[in-house]
Amino acid sequence: MAKILMKGNEAIGEAAIRAGCLNYFGYPITPQSEIAEYLSHRMPEVNGMFLQAESEVAASYMIFGAAAAGERVFTTSSSPGISLMSEAISYVAAAQCPAVFVNIMRGGPGLGGILPSQGDYFQATKGGGHGDYHLLVMAPNSVQESVEMVMRAFPLAEKYRNPVIILGDGLIGQMMEPVEFPDHLISEPSDKNDWATTGMDYRNSNKPNLVKSLFLVGNSLEENNRCLKAKYEQMKKEEIMFATYNCDTNYVALIVSYGTMSRVCRTAIDLLKNEGIEVGMIRPQTLFPFPEKAVQEAAWKPSCKVVTSMELSMGQMVEDVERVVQAKRPVTWFGVAGGIVSTPEEIVAEMKRVIHAHQ
Amino acid sequence: MDYQYQIDADRCKGCGLCVAVCPKKVLSLLQKNNSKGYFPAYRVDESACVLCGTCCIMCPDIAITITSIDN
Repeated sequence: MAKILMKGNEAIGEAAIRAGCLNYFGYPITPQSEIAEYLSHRMPEVNGMFLQAESEVAASYMIFGAAAAGERVFTTSSSPGISLMSEAISYVAAAQCPAVFVNIMRGGPGLGGILPSQGDYFQATKGGGHGDYHLLVMAPNSVQESVEMVMRAFPLAEKYRNPVIILGDGLIGQMMEPVEFPDHLISEPSDKNDWATTGMDYRNSNKPNLVKSLFLVGNSLEENNRCLKAKYEQMKKEEIMFATYNCDTNYVALIVSYGTMSRVCRTAIDLLKNEGIEVGMIRPQTLFPFPEKAVQEAAWKPSCKVVTSMELSMGQMVEDVERVVQAKRPVTWFGVAGGIVSTPEEIVAEMKRVIHAHQ
Repeated sequence: MDYQYQIDADRCKGCGLCVAVCPKKVLSLLQKNNSKGYFPAYRVDESACVLCGTCCIMCPDIAITITSIDN
Protein backbone atom coordinates (compact mmCIF):
# COMPACT_ATOMS: atom_id res chain seq x y z
CA MET A 1 0.00 0.00 0.00
CA ALA A 2 1.15 3.54 -0.78
CA LYS A 3 2.23 5.94 1.92
CA ILE A 4 -0.36 8.41 3.19
CA LEU A 5 -0.10 11.46 5.44
CA MET A 6 -1.89 10.88 8.73
CA LYS A 7 -2.08 12.29 12.22
CA GLY A 8 -0.59 9.93 14.82
CA ASN A 9 -3.87 9.48 16.67
CA GLU A 10 -5.84 8.68 13.52
CA ALA A 11 -3.14 6.30 12.31
CA ILE A 12 -3.36 4.41 15.63
CA GLY A 13 -7.12 4.01 15.17
CA GLU A 14 -6.72 2.81 11.59
CA ALA A 15 -3.89 0.43 12.57
CA ALA A 16 -6.14 -1.30 15.10
CA ILE A 17 -8.81 -1.85 12.45
CA ARG A 18 -6.22 -3.18 9.98
CA ALA A 19 -5.01 -5.51 12.74
CA GLY A 20 -8.50 -7.00 12.90
CA CYS A 21 -9.74 -5.27 16.05
CA LEU A 22 -13.38 -4.32 15.59
CA ASN A 23 -14.23 -3.35 19.17
CA TYR A 24 -13.43 0.01 20.74
CA PHE A 25 -14.71 1.31 24.04
CA GLY A 26 -13.31 4.60 25.21
CA TYR A 27 -13.70 8.02 26.67
CA PRO A 28 -12.29 11.22 25.17
CA ILE A 29 -9.33 12.99 26.70
CA THR A 30 -6.82 15.39 25.17
CA PRO A 31 -4.34 14.65 23.57
CA GLN A 32 -5.78 11.35 22.31
CA SER A 33 -9.39 12.33 21.50
CA GLU A 34 -8.77 12.09 17.74
CA ILE A 35 -8.48 8.29 18.07
CA ALA A 36 -12.05 8.10 19.37
CA GLU A 37 -13.18 10.75 16.90
CA TYR A 38 -11.69 8.79 13.99
CA LEU A 39 -13.08 5.45 15.14
CA SER A 40 -16.56 6.88 15.73
CA HIS A 41 -17.02 7.11 11.97
CA ARG A 42 -14.57 4.41 10.86
CA MET A 43 -15.85 1.53 13.03
CA PRO A 44 -19.41 1.57 11.58
CA GLU A 45 -17.89 1.42 8.08
CA VAL A 46 -16.29 -1.96 8.88
CA ASN A 47 -19.27 -3.21 10.94
CA GLY A 48 -17.24 -2.76 14.11
CA MET A 49 -18.29 -1.59 17.56
CA PHE A 50 -17.59 1.97 18.72
CA LEU A 51 -18.93 2.96 22.09
CA GLN A 52 -18.22 6.05 24.13
CA ALA A 53 -18.61 5.00 27.74
CA GLU A 54 -19.65 7.29 30.58
CA SER A 55 -16.14 7.21 32.04
CA GLU A 56 -12.74 5.56 31.68
CA VAL A 57 -13.66 3.16 34.48
CA ALA A 58 -16.70 1.94 32.55
CA ALA A 59 -14.75 1.72 29.29
CA SER A 60 -12.02 -0.37 30.87
CA TYR A 61 -14.51 -2.94 32.22
CA MET A 62 -16.16 -3.12 28.80
CA ILE A 63 -12.68 -4.04 27.55
CA PHE A 64 -12.49 -6.75 30.22
CA GLY A 65 -15.88 -8.12 29.16
CA ALA A 66 -15.12 -8.17 25.45
CA ALA A 67 -11.67 -9.69 26.03
CA ALA A 68 -13.17 -12.41 28.24
CA ALA A 69 -15.59 -13.21 25.42
CA GLY A 70 -12.61 -13.75 23.12
CA GLU A 71 -12.96 -10.61 21.01
CA ARG A 72 -10.08 -8.45 19.84
CA VAL A 73 -10.59 -5.22 21.73
CA PHE A 74 -8.73 -2.05 22.55
CA THR A 75 -9.05 1.33 24.19
CA THR A 76 -7.05 4.50 24.26
CA SER A 77 -6.64 7.20 26.83
CA SER A 78 -4.19 9.67 28.26
CA SER A 79 -2.46 9.70 31.64
CA PRO A 80 -5.30 10.54 34.09
CA GLY A 81 -7.62 8.23 32.14
CA ILE A 82 -5.14 5.35 32.37
CA SER A 83 -5.03 5.91 36.14
CA LEU A 84 -8.80 5.36 36.22
CA MET A 85 -8.42 2.24 34.07
CA SER A 86 -5.63 0.79 36.18
CA GLU A 87 -7.97 -1.21 38.41
CA ALA A 88 -9.46 -2.99 35.41
CA ILE A 89 -6.02 -3.49 33.86
CA SER A 90 -4.98 -5.35 37.01
CA TYR A 91 -8.14 -7.50 36.74
CA VAL A 92 -7.53 -8.21 33.04
CA ALA A 93 -3.95 -9.25 33.81
CA ALA A 94 -5.05 -11.47 36.71
CA ALA A 95 -7.79 -13.11 34.63
CA GLN A 96 -5.30 -13.58 31.78
CA CYS A 97 -7.26 -11.90 29.02
CA PRO A 98 -5.70 -10.29 25.95
CA ALA A 99 -6.39 -6.58 25.48
CA VAL A 100 -4.57 -3.57 24.07
CA PHE A 101 -4.37 -0.19 25.79
CA VAL A 102 -2.86 2.95 24.29
CA ASN A 103 -1.61 5.75 26.54
CA ILE A 104 -0.93 9.03 24.74
CA MET A 105 0.86 10.53 27.72
CA ARG A 106 0.36 14.08 28.91
CA GLY A 107 2.00 15.97 31.74
CA GLY A 108 1.17 15.03 35.30
CA PRO A 109 0.69 14.37 38.18
CA GLY A 110 -2.98 15.14 38.75
CA LEU A 111 -4.86 16.62 35.84
CA GLY A 112 -1.51 18.11 34.90
CA GLY A 113 -1.49 19.55 31.41
CA ILE A 114 -2.29 18.43 27.90
CA LEU A 115 1.18 18.68 26.37
CA PRO A 116 3.64 15.79 25.74
CA SER A 117 5.33 14.07 28.68
CA GLN A 118 6.85 10.72 29.59
CA GLY A 119 5.73 10.81 33.19
CA ASP A 120 3.89 7.48 33.08
CA TYR A 121 6.96 5.25 32.73
CA PHE A 122 6.58 3.97 36.29
CA GLN A 123 2.84 3.49 35.88
CA ALA A 124 3.23 1.46 32.70
CA THR A 125 6.28 -0.63 33.57
CA LYS A 126 6.04 -1.05 37.34
CA GLY A 127 2.34 -1.36 37.94
CA GLY A 128 -0.32 1.30 37.98
CA GLY A 129 -2.84 -1.15 39.33
CA HIS A 130 -2.42 -3.40 42.35
CA GLY A 131 -0.85 -6.82 42.62
CA ASP A 132 1.91 -8.85 41.03
CA TYR A 133 1.50 -8.12 37.35
CA HIS A 134 3.24 -6.55 34.41
CA LEU A 135 2.12 -5.19 31.08
CA LEU A 136 4.02 -5.64 27.88
CA VAL A 137 4.98 -2.00 27.21
CA MET A 138 5.95 -0.69 23.78
CA ALA A 139 7.08 2.90 23.13
CA PRO A 140 6.99 4.25 19.55
CA ASN A 141 8.96 7.31 18.43
CA SER A 142 7.18 7.96 15.13
CA VAL A 143 3.74 7.67 13.60
CA GLN A 144 4.96 4.75 11.48
CA GLU A 145 6.27 2.91 14.52
CA SER A 146 3.00 3.57 16.39
CA VAL A 147 1.14 1.82 13.57
CA GLU A 148 3.50 -1.15 13.57
CA MET A 149 3.39 -1.50 17.34
CA VAL A 150 -0.41 -1.35 17.45
CA MET A 151 -0.61 -4.03 14.76
CA ARG A 152 1.89 -6.20 16.65
CA ALA A 153 0.18 -5.60 19.99
CA PHE A 154 -2.91 -7.72 19.25
CA PRO A 155 -1.15 -11.02 18.42
CA LEU A 156 1.24 -10.39 21.33
CA ALA A 157 -1.64 -9.83 23.76
CA GLU A 158 -3.16 -13.12 22.56
CA LYS A 159 0.13 -15.01 22.67
CA TYR A 160 0.57 -14.13 26.34
CA ARG A 161 -3.08 -13.59 27.23
CA ASN A 162 -1.89 -10.42 28.90
CA PRO A 163 -2.67 -6.73 28.40
CA VAL A 164 -0.27 -4.83 26.12
CA ILE A 165 0.14 -1.07 26.44
CA ILE A 166 1.47 1.33 23.80
CA LEU A 167 3.14 4.28 25.49
CA GLY A 168 3.04 7.25 23.12
CA ASP A 169 2.87 10.89 24.06
CA GLY A 170 1.07 14.04 23.00
CA LEU A 171 3.65 14.77 20.33
CA ILE A 172 3.35 11.35 18.65
CA GLY A 173 -0.45 11.59 18.79
CA GLN A 174 -0.77 15.12 17.44
CA MET A 175 1.91 15.02 14.76
CA MET A 176 1.34 14.20 11.09
CA GLU A 177 3.78 11.96 9.25
CA PRO A 178 3.78 9.76 6.15
CA VAL A 179 2.64 6.31 7.15
CA GLU A 180 2.16 2.87 5.64
CA PHE A 181 0.08 0.00 6.99
CA PRO A 182 2.22 -3.11 6.41
CA ASP A 183 0.21 -6.11 5.23
CA HIS A 184 2.65 -8.56 6.79
CA LEU A 185 1.61 -7.40 10.26
CA ILE A 186 -1.99 -8.47 9.75
CA SER A 187 -2.54 -11.49 12.00
CA GLU A 188 -5.29 -14.06 12.36
CA PRO A 189 -7.01 -14.09 15.77
CA SER A 190 -5.71 -16.95 17.92
CA ASP A 191 -7.73 -19.99 18.97
CA LYS A 192 -9.57 -19.03 22.16
CA ASN A 193 -11.66 -22.19 22.67
CA ASP A 194 -9.67 -23.27 25.73
CA TRP A 195 -10.38 -20.26 27.86
CA ALA A 196 -12.75 -17.65 26.38
CA THR A 197 -16.40 -17.51 27.45
CA THR A 198 -17.77 -17.96 23.95
CA GLY A 199 -20.58 -20.36 24.94
CA MET A 200 -20.43 -24.17 25.26
CA ASP A 201 -22.96 -24.78 22.47
CA TYR A 202 -21.04 -22.55 20.14
CA ARG A 203 -17.77 -24.40 20.58
CA ASN A 204 -19.22 -27.94 21.04
CA SER A 205 -17.67 -28.42 24.44
CA ASN A 206 -18.80 -29.93 27.70
CA LYS A 207 -16.25 -27.99 29.74
CA PRO A 208 -17.32 -24.53 30.89
CA ASN A 209 -14.67 -21.79 30.56
CA LEU A 210 -14.39 -19.51 33.57
CA VAL A 211 -12.71 -16.10 33.47
CA LYS A 212 -12.02 -14.77 36.96
CA SER A 213 -9.55 -12.84 39.05
CA LEU A 214 -10.64 -14.07 42.51
CA PHE A 215 -8.64 -17.02 43.88
CA LEU A 216 -9.63 -17.96 47.43
CA VAL A 217 -9.12 -21.70 47.64
CA GLY A 218 -5.83 -23.14 48.90
CA ASN A 219 -2.81 -21.96 46.96
CA SER A 220 -4.72 -21.20 43.76
CA LEU A 221 -3.69 -17.52 43.90
CA GLU A 222 -0.02 -18.43 44.20
CA GLU A 223 -0.41 -20.80 41.25
CA ASN A 224 -1.90 -17.97 39.22
CA ASN A 225 0.90 -15.62 40.25
CA ARG A 226 3.51 -18.20 39.26
CA CYS A 227 1.77 -18.66 35.92
CA LEU A 228 1.94 -14.87 35.35
CA LYS A 229 5.57 -14.80 36.42
CA ALA A 230 6.42 -17.51 33.87
CA LYS A 231 4.82 -15.39 31.14
CA TYR A 232 6.88 -12.34 32.11
CA GLU A 233 10.07 -14.41 32.04
CA GLN A 234 9.12 -15.67 28.57
CA MET A 235 8.53 -12.06 27.43
CA LYS A 236 12.03 -11.17 28.63
CA LYS A 237 13.43 -13.94 26.42
CA GLU A 238 11.32 -13.39 23.29
CA GLU A 239 9.86 -9.91 23.03
CA ILE A 240 12.66 -7.41 23.70
CA MET A 241 12.95 -4.74 21.00
CA PHE A 242 15.41 -1.87 20.84
CA ALA A 243 17.16 0.35 18.32
CA THR A 244 20.63 1.88 18.36
CA TYR A 245 22.03 5.07 16.87
CA ASN A 246 25.70 5.84 16.26
CA CYS A 247 26.63 2.82 18.38
CA ASP A 248 29.17 1.42 15.87
CA THR A 249 31.58 4.23 16.79
CA ASN A 250 33.90 4.51 19.79
CA TYR A 251 31.45 6.75 21.62
CA VAL A 252 32.54 8.44 24.82
CA ALA A 253 29.02 8.65 26.24
CA LEU A 254 25.84 6.67 25.84
CA ILE A 255 22.32 8.12 25.81
CA VAL A 256 19.39 5.92 26.77
CA SER A 257 16.17 7.45 25.54
CA TYR A 258 12.78 6.41 24.18
CA GLY A 259 9.81 7.88 22.33
CA THR A 260 9.72 11.56 21.45
CA MET A 261 12.86 12.37 23.44
CA SER A 262 14.90 9.92 21.33
CA ARG A 263 14.11 11.96 18.21
CA VAL A 264 15.55 15.09 19.83
CA CYS A 265 18.58 13.08 21.01
CA ARG A 266 19.17 11.80 17.46
CA THR A 267 19.52 15.38 16.20
CA ALA A 268 21.75 16.27 19.17
CA ILE A 269 24.02 13.29 18.40
CA ASP A 270 24.40 14.50 14.79
CA LEU A 271 25.30 18.00 16.04
CA LEU A 272 27.87 16.56 18.46
CA LYS A 273 29.33 14.40 15.68
CA ASN A 274 29.94 17.56 13.61
CA GLU A 275 32.02 18.87 16.52
CA GLY A 276 33.98 15.63 16.68
CA ILE A 277 32.28 14.24 19.79
CA GLU A 278 30.91 10.71 19.40
CA VAL A 279 27.85 9.85 21.46
CA GLY A 280 25.87 6.64 21.03
CA MET A 281 22.21 6.08 21.74
CA ILE A 282 20.22 3.01 22.65
CA ARG A 283 16.46 3.34 22.36
CA PRO A 284 14.30 0.76 24.13
CA GLN A 285 11.25 0.01 21.98
CA THR A 286 9.90 -2.31 24.64
CA LEU A 287 10.06 -0.72 28.10
CA PHE A 288 8.85 -3.92 29.72
CA PRO A 289 10.63 -6.19 29.08
CA PHE A 290 13.50 -3.68 29.34
CA PRO A 291 16.43 -4.41 26.98
CA GLU A 292 18.70 -5.11 29.93
CA LYS A 293 21.49 -6.98 28.17
CA ALA A 294 21.68 -4.55 25.25
CA VAL A 295 21.87 -1.48 27.49
CA GLN A 296 24.44 -3.19 29.70
CA GLU A 297 26.68 -4.18 26.79
CA ALA A 298 26.44 -0.72 25.24
CA ALA A 299 27.21 0.96 28.57
CA TRP A 300 30.13 -1.34 29.36
CA LYS A 301 31.88 -0.65 26.04
CA PRO A 302 35.48 0.35 26.95
CA SER A 303 35.30 3.76 25.22
CA CYS A 304 32.11 4.72 27.04
CA LYS A 305 32.75 6.82 30.14
CA VAL A 306 29.25 7.84 31.18
CA VAL A 307 25.62 6.84 30.59
CA THR A 308 22.82 9.43 30.51
CA SER A 309 19.10 8.72 30.66
CA MET A 310 17.25 11.40 28.66
CA GLU A 311 13.56 11.66 29.49
CA LEU A 312 10.54 13.94 29.38
CA SER A 313 10.11 13.27 33.09
CA MET A 314 11.84 14.03 36.35
CA GLY A 315 13.81 10.76 36.26
CA GLN A 316 11.95 7.46 35.91
CA MET A 317 13.67 5.25 33.34
CA VAL A 318 16.99 6.26 34.89
CA GLU A 319 16.23 3.80 37.72
CA ASP A 320 16.15 0.90 35.24
CA VAL A 321 19.30 2.19 33.55
CA GLU A 322 21.09 2.36 36.92
CA ARG A 323 19.88 -1.16 37.70
CA VAL A 324 21.34 -2.73 34.56
CA VAL A 325 24.57 -0.69 34.44
CA GLN A 326 25.27 -2.01 37.95
CA ALA A 327 27.45 0.96 38.94
CA LYS A 328 30.18 -0.04 36.45
CA ARG A 329 29.73 3.36 34.75
CA PRO A 330 28.42 6.61 36.20
CA VAL A 331 24.74 7.06 35.32
CA THR A 332 23.26 10.56 35.02
CA TRP A 333 19.80 11.84 34.23
CA PHE A 334 18.61 14.78 32.18
CA GLY A 335 14.97 15.62 31.71
CA VAL A 336 12.34 18.24 31.22
CA ALA A 337 8.69 17.90 32.22
CA GLY A 338 5.41 19.68 32.35
CA GLY A 339 4.78 19.63 28.63
CA ILE A 340 8.13 21.09 27.63
CA VAL A 341 10.09 19.21 24.96
CA SER A 342 13.79 19.98 25.15
CA THR A 343 15.72 21.28 22.15
CA PRO A 344 18.71 19.50 20.56
CA GLU A 345 20.92 22.42 21.71
CA GLU A 346 19.99 21.78 25.36
CA ILE A 347 20.95 18.13 24.97
CA VAL A 348 24.22 19.03 23.24
CA ALA A 349 25.09 21.36 26.14
CA GLU A 350 24.15 18.72 28.73
CA MET A 351 26.18 16.00 27.00
CA LYS A 352 29.25 18.26 26.78
CA ARG A 353 28.89 19.04 30.49
CA VAL A 354 28.50 15.38 31.42
CA ILE A 355 31.38 14.22 29.22
CA HIS A 356 33.64 16.95 30.64
CA ALA A 357 32.73 15.99 34.20
CA HIS A 358 33.52 12.29 33.66
CA GLN A 359 36.71 12.44 31.59
CA MET B 1 -5.44 43.42 -4.18
CA ASP B 2 -6.22 42.89 -0.50
CA TYR B 3 -5.38 39.84 1.53
CA GLN B 4 -7.14 38.23 4.44
CA TYR B 5 -5.01 36.55 7.08
CA GLN B 6 -6.77 33.95 9.24
CA ILE B 7 -5.75 31.63 12.03
CA ASP B 8 -8.30 28.95 12.85
CA ALA B 9 -7.68 29.06 16.59
CA ASP B 10 -9.63 25.88 17.36
CA ARG B 11 -7.50 23.92 14.90
CA CYS B 12 -4.22 25.17 16.36
CA LYS B 13 -2.40 22.92 18.86
CA GLY B 14 0.06 25.59 19.93
CA CYS B 15 3.18 23.79 18.67
CA GLY B 16 4.85 27.15 17.99
CA LEU B 17 6.42 26.16 14.67
CA CYS B 18 4.96 29.27 12.97
CA VAL B 19 6.32 31.45 15.75
CA ALA B 20 9.78 30.00 15.21
CA VAL B 21 9.71 30.24 11.42
CA CYS B 22 8.22 33.75 10.95
CA PRO B 23 10.93 35.95 9.37
CA LYS B 24 9.40 39.10 10.83
CA LYS B 25 8.74 37.71 14.32
CA VAL B 26 5.09 38.66 14.01
CA LEU B 27 3.57 35.64 15.72
CA SER B 28 3.30 34.58 19.33
CA LEU B 29 1.20 32.18 21.41
CA LEU B 30 -1.92 33.52 23.08
CA GLN B 31 -2.15 33.27 26.87
CA LYS B 32 -5.78 32.16 26.63
CA ASN B 33 -6.59 28.59 25.62
CA ASN B 34 -8.82 27.47 22.73
CA SER B 35 -11.71 24.99 22.99
CA LYS B 36 -9.27 22.04 22.98
CA GLY B 37 -7.14 23.50 25.74
CA TYR B 38 -4.17 24.54 23.62
CA PHE B 39 -2.71 28.03 23.47
CA PRO B 40 -3.10 29.09 19.84
CA ALA B 41 -0.87 31.33 17.73
CA TYR B 42 -1.86 34.93 16.94
CA ARG B 43 -0.31 37.93 15.22
CA VAL B 44 1.10 40.31 17.82
CA ASP B 45 1.93 42.98 15.28
CA GLU B 46 -0.30 42.77 12.21
CA SER B 47 1.35 45.77 10.54
CA ALA B 48 4.75 44.03 10.54
CA CYS B 49 3.38 41.02 8.66
CA VAL B 50 4.50 40.87 5.02
CA LEU B 51 2.07 38.02 4.14
CA CYS B 52 4.96 35.84 2.93
CA GLY B 53 2.96 32.68 3.73
CA THR B 54 5.84 30.85 5.47
CA CYS B 55 3.62 30.22 8.50
CA CYS B 56 0.90 28.71 6.24
CA ILE B 57 3.42 26.33 4.68
CA MET B 58 4.91 25.41 8.06
CA CYS B 59 1.67 24.84 9.98
CA PRO B 60 1.26 21.04 10.37
CA ASP B 61 -2.48 21.43 10.99
CA ILE B 62 -3.17 23.82 8.09
CA ALA B 63 -4.69 26.25 10.57
CA ILE B 64 -3.28 29.41 8.95
CA THR B 65 -4.59 30.69 5.62
CA ILE B 66 -3.98 33.80 3.54
CA THR B 67 -6.59 34.46 0.88
CA SER B 68 -6.75 37.20 -1.70
CA ILE B 69 -9.86 39.35 -1.79
CA ASP B 70 -10.72 40.84 -5.18
CA ASN B 71 -11.97 44.36 -4.90
